[in-house]
Amino acid sequence: MKVEGSRRFAAPRPRVYEYFANHQVLARCLPGCEKLEPEGPDSYAAVMRVGIAAVKGTYSGRVEVAEREPPERYRLKVEASGTAGFVNMDGVLAFVADGDATEVRYDFDVQVGGPVAAVGQRVLGGIARLLVGQFFQAMEREVAA
Amino acid sequence: MVTRYLGAPVRRNEDPRLLTGRGNFVDDIQIPGMLHGAFVRSTHAHARLKRVDVSRALAAPGVHAVYTHGDLGPLGDPLPPLIPHPTLKHHKTQYALAPDKVRYVGEPVAFVVADSRYLAEDAADLVEVEYEPLPPVVDLEAAAEPGAPLVHEDAGTNVAAHYTQRVGEPDRAFAEAPHVFTERLVMDRGCAQPMEPRGVVAHWDPRLETLLIWDSTQAPIPIRNGLARLFGLPERAVRVIAGDVGGGFGPKIMMFYPEEIMVPLAAMRLGRPVKWIEDRREHFWATNHEREQIHDAAIAVDDQGRIIAVRTVFLHDAGAYIPYGLIVPVVASTTLPGPYKIPNYHAEFKAVFTNKTIVSPYRGAGRPHGVFVMERLMDRVARELGIDRAEVRRRNLIQPDEFPYDVGLIYQDFAPLIYDSGNYPAVMDRALAMVGYDRFPEEQARARREGRYLGLGVANYVEGTGIGPYEGAKVHVEPSGKVLLATGVGTQGQGHYTSLAQLVADQLGVDVKDVHVVTGDTGEFAWGTGTFASRAAVVAGSAVYLAARAVREKALEVAARLLEASKEDLELEGGRVLVRGAPQRAVSLGEVAVAANPLRGTIPEGAEPGLEATRYFGPPRGSFAAGTHAAVVEVDPETGMLKILRYVVVHDCGTVINPMILEGQIHGGVAQGVGGAYYEKLVYDEGGQLLTTSFMDFLIPTAMEVPDVAIGHVETPSPLNPLGIKGAGEAGVIPVPALVAQAVEDALAPWGVRVREMPLSPVKVRELVEGSRREAPA
Repeated sequence: MKVEGSRRFAAPRPRVYEYFANHQVLARCLPGCEKLEPEGPDSYAAVMRVGIAAVKGTYSGRVEVAEREPPERYRLKVEASGTAGFVNMDGVLAFVADGDATEVRYDFDVQVGGPVAAVGQRVLGGIARLLVGQFFQAMEREVAA
Repeated sequence: MVTRYLGAPVRRNEDPRLLTGRGNFVDDIQIPGMLHGAFVRSTHAHARLKRVDVSRALAAPGVHAVYTHGDLGPLGDPLPPLIPHPTLKHHKTQYALAPDKVRYVGEPVAFVVADSRYLAEDAADLVEVEYEPLPPVVDLEAAAEPGAPLVHEDAGTNVAAHYTQRVGEPDRAFAEAPHVFTERLVMDRGCAQPMEPRGVVAHWDPRLETLLIWDSTQAPIPIRNGLARLFGLPERAVRVIAGDVGGGFGPKIMMFYPEEIMVPLAAMRLGRPVKWIEDRREHFWATNHEREQIHDAAIAVDDQGRIIAVRTVFLHDAGAYIPYGLIVPVVASTTLPGPYKIPNYHAEFKAVFTNKTIVSPYRGAGRPHGVFVMERLMDRVARELGIDRAEVRRRNLIQPDEFPYDVGLIYQDFAPLIYDSGNYPAVMDRALAMVGYDRFPEEQARARREGRYLGLGVANYVEGTGIGPYEGAKVHVEPSGKVLLATGVGTQGQGHYTSLAQLVADQLGVDVKDVHVVTGDTGEFAWGTGTFASRAAVVAGSAVYLAARAVREKALEVAARLLEASKEDLELEGGRVLVRGAPQRAVSLGEVAVAANPLRGTIPEGAEPGLEATRYFGPPRGSFAAGTHAAVVEVDPETGMLKILRYVVVHDCGTVINPMILEGQIHGGVAQGVGGAYYEKLVYDEGGQLLTTSFMDFLIPTAMEVPDVAIGHVETPSPLNPLGIKGAGEAGVIPVPALVAQAVEDALAPWGVRVREMPLSPVKVRELVEGSRREAPA
């Protein structure tokens, strides 16, 4: 499944990038994130609790940030599994300057497996949009603060 | 002897019990102290197992054990292969629990046993499995290509078998034929949905050292034999009961499912009874699938549409392992010729491993595929040459005086494919008359004027049934005069408690209700293979008949002594043996049974005690039923919806034991066929995830979608068994995809729609309409 889109932030690109590349900020903003601790220079152990019916459960795994090109882009890889199955994401976050504002573009391949794929497939698109929306709202608050 | 029951629509003995909730299914088994199991199943289609950590699960409340592959010892080896074949080079079989690699979503990785299913499921969630994903092999064609990722690395290929059968000189025939038409025809995955999913209860008695198993299986005797071997027990120490089985349809003939090993293993190790019942979602992953094949087919005909040659080269999706061997593709390629004379035939297939659930026979077992291909080719010939589709079929039918007819192939029982008897023209003509073939064009034109799109389909098939090796039966008359019949074939709702009882009742002159049938209990009868391939009535039925006849002879001999009459002057009637013409001189069958088993005195030399006999029957080869289905459908080109307006089945399964039961078999088969043609489809995503694991996504037809079925019988008895019976278990399902394809094409003729894959769906029909080049009529 493809998850892609963009969001406009009313802040200059370096500042937006800095927030998006800060794992403590990410930990606060990722929906249901209970833990995001560095394991290595670019990888983090993560635990997320998702409370949406078809994909409800606790997922633990690894978040990797790679190919950092500040302030333009970085690659984000998430591998998480839990009782409801697994979710793997791999994609790029790109930061495009637009005057004083910044457009954040995201383009992810999402793979889900196990019961979450079997039962949740028909609603996964909606759930992904909801979670992405929650994440960006939280990021906006952080950037604006 | 007056035949009272053979051929009569006797009401089913088992129905009062089943309909009032007194059936005895696996989940009805309750034993004090019983524990409950749940499986941890792979969430990946293809991955290495890097780590399976059960420590948290073991610490969970109520948990007695958590098993992984490392706990299995010799039982961790691949489970026994079932039906080898010379061309099956890589006979890979499944494991009780996955060792170092998982090969399909749902493959068992760990087994948790706890005080209740709830606790077992909760603990299963705590088992941590670390996977290292491998590239999944999902697409059937890609899997067969060289260089594809390998499901089994040591095989060096995903092609498990490559098998070709030929009749005549197909290459030359194709080269020289005036007309050759080719088609690519696809059947996608489907599966059976029995009301009772699988389930196993195991009870180990450490004092008697006996293992008692309840298993929702079609093969209790082979399960017993195999469990005894695998667990190192004497066969007499293992008893397998498959009493009431809530639907089988083929997948339950498969063995050993991992659960059939793990449940007894846990029961023996823990010294406690253990139960596992498959839930519906598990059933979609864990119970075998079927149907997926891609055929590249061709037909060569002369100017009159007479067949010169047929060829099919196809891929068969075996799934992750191939325990059951090549039965499905062999049946597909040998059912394809059907009732037609095909002088030159080339059938070639590759059975291919993919990272999907294992494939083994499901009602039809390759027959629907073969018939779909052949009938699509016949439709193509009819269209290309402008010959009426019934006429082109008629011109190619094997004629009644041509039996036995040697097709020239080797069938699934490794015997020559020889049709024993039949009357194909009579069957087809009857179906055409019943569906109103001749007046349909007018009906179709009238409907079109009203903006409705009607189509007619007609499809023929020959159904291989009643194969060996053998079955047996024991008939025993008790002192009460009631009769006990025990046979090795289990029953999954086919009415054996009645149809087999009818055969006994006729021989012994008793009421059919006084014949108590025991099936599927190895404690009662332990020789036999199972209920599959539409063989119970043919093979077990013949054994029952022979055993009942032997008891009848014995009863006459004993009664002759009691009545001081000549055997020839006696008859059996109303539960008594009486002197013909002098009914006051009679003795009850119960008294004869007592006399045959005296406390003092002696029995004649060479005689066996009691009114009892055991007989076996093994046919030389399968007997071949045949039939024609015809239907009128209405298709809504706007919504893609299909409505079946009329449905006709004319069927020839030789001698009919019970027409009511036969009609039930056909109705059920048609329902399943309609499901497989238009509603039921297993969808995998490109990662090998099964997306259809509930009845929200995998639609089974309900009473609203299943048509009324009008049934006509033609009876051409089989010469291969004493009663002339042929099987009927799969008749309803076989030609439905072929028939629906033709009917939909006919209905949507204004759009020039071509149906080349099954199953259809509303969406698929819409795509066909959209994709057609021609404009919709004004």
